[in-house]
Amino acid sequence: MRIPIQINENSAEPLYHQIETQLRSLIISGQIEEGTLLPSIREFAGNLNCSVITVRRVYQDLESEGLLRTRQGTGTFVAGVGDQAREQFKRDAVIEALNLAVDRGLAVQMKQEELIELFMEVVRERYQSRGGH
Amino acid sequence: MEPHVIEFRNVMKRRRTKTIGPIQLSIPQGYIVALVGPNGSGKSTLLNMMIQTVFPDEGEVTWFGESHSKELPIEVRKQMAFVPEQLSVEEQHMTADQAATFRASWYDNWDGYFFDELMSRFDVPRGVKLRKMSKGERRKFEIAAALAPRPKLLLLDEPSSGLDPFAWKQMIDQLHKLMKSIDTTIILSTHVVDEIRRLADYVILIHHGKLLGMVEKDSLLDNWKECWIQGDASIVRELPGIISSRQENATTISFVTTECLEVENILRSAGMTFIQTRSLELDEVLRLWIDGHQPAGMQK
Repeated sequence: MRIPIQINENSAEPLYHQIETQLRSLIISGQIEEGTLLPSIREFAGNLNCSVITVRRVYQDLESEGLLRTRQGTGTFVAGVGDQAREQFKRDAVIEALNLAVDRGLAVQMKQEELIELFMEVVRERYQSRGGH
Repeated sequence: MEPHVIEFRNVMKRRRTKTIGPIQLSIPQGYIVALVGPNGSGKSTLLNMMIQTVFPDEGEVTWFGESHSKELPIEVRKQMAFVPEQLSVEEQHMTADQAATFRASWYDNWDGYFFDELMSRFDVPRGVKLRKMSKGERRKFEIAAALAPRPKLLLLDEPSSGLDPFAWKQMIDQLHKLMKSIDTTIILSTHVVDEIRRLADYVILIHHGKLLGMVEKDSLLDNWKECWIQGDASIVRELPGIISSRQENATTISFVTTECLEVENILRSAGMTFIQTRSLELDEVLRLWIDGHQPAGMQK
């Protein structure tokens, strides 16, 4: 299968990290199902225009996190993700996004109260527009 | 660490007008290595020494861990294939099929079905004499013939010259396919930036017969960046790998660095972030590298 990963070459984030983060979230969010055979390292590198060294690093990292499994001679598969890990991942992803938002606030020297107020405002607007969940 | 397919130790070659070397080089097995450098820098000589169509004047070359100062044993030579830039004239009077039969006769690992498949994919006329072929057809024949024995080491000297964009794309695909076997290595010289992007794991730069180094391609892309931050020259002075910088306005300064990953670490620990970053194009990187700016993470 072709793994939907978008590389932003102009980002300061290193290539392996971009690929790793996206692949991890595809696996944990369940968009790539347990048992899926991933492309070979060379094939994936070819699709992404990056080197096999980078892809190997990503596979090794995710394997040591328990998200991937390599079977000699067959290839690299997506391992099972526990519900707890999935919940933790959701939380982490949101916390990371919030951190970015706070960074923006800090960059323009916004006061803490002001930021909280804005945050609440955005939350109210967005959740109301979705029908008040 | 992988075994090395080819190693150069203090290799020198004296030509009438220029000297190549001394060259130290180790090519690890299982990778695609792009050999880049301006015209006349010595890329072809280097490739020719790898297949012994040129012998070094000094130093030692080893293949798969063994040195062969006389002639490459046939068992070693059979593992290798070469597409030279100047295609040989000896087979010119042969048709593609005759030349293929000739070559198959001394590659016992020649895969005739694979060769047929490549010839039809590349759309090369088979009954036509090589000298009657267009430049692109001839090159496609050479590439098909080089791939047919599924060599462990494939050497390509500017393989894309003369290819149309469709044939070029097919060549890239076929090279990727060849690399499915994990112990296959490709060394290719090229001027085509897109070819480096699509294929290379490592980049070797040579200039005026000297090897300027070998580095992971992705490390070049990760590290050579133009960055914009809030601040002035006093901050940029503290950062590594700076090539140039420019005060954009009262609060913003831009700079080009060869060590963006390290710069990011330093900025982050100082609580700063980039306003913007841009990867340098590979040709900009190569130009700056030739001009003497060393990349981070160079291989020994």
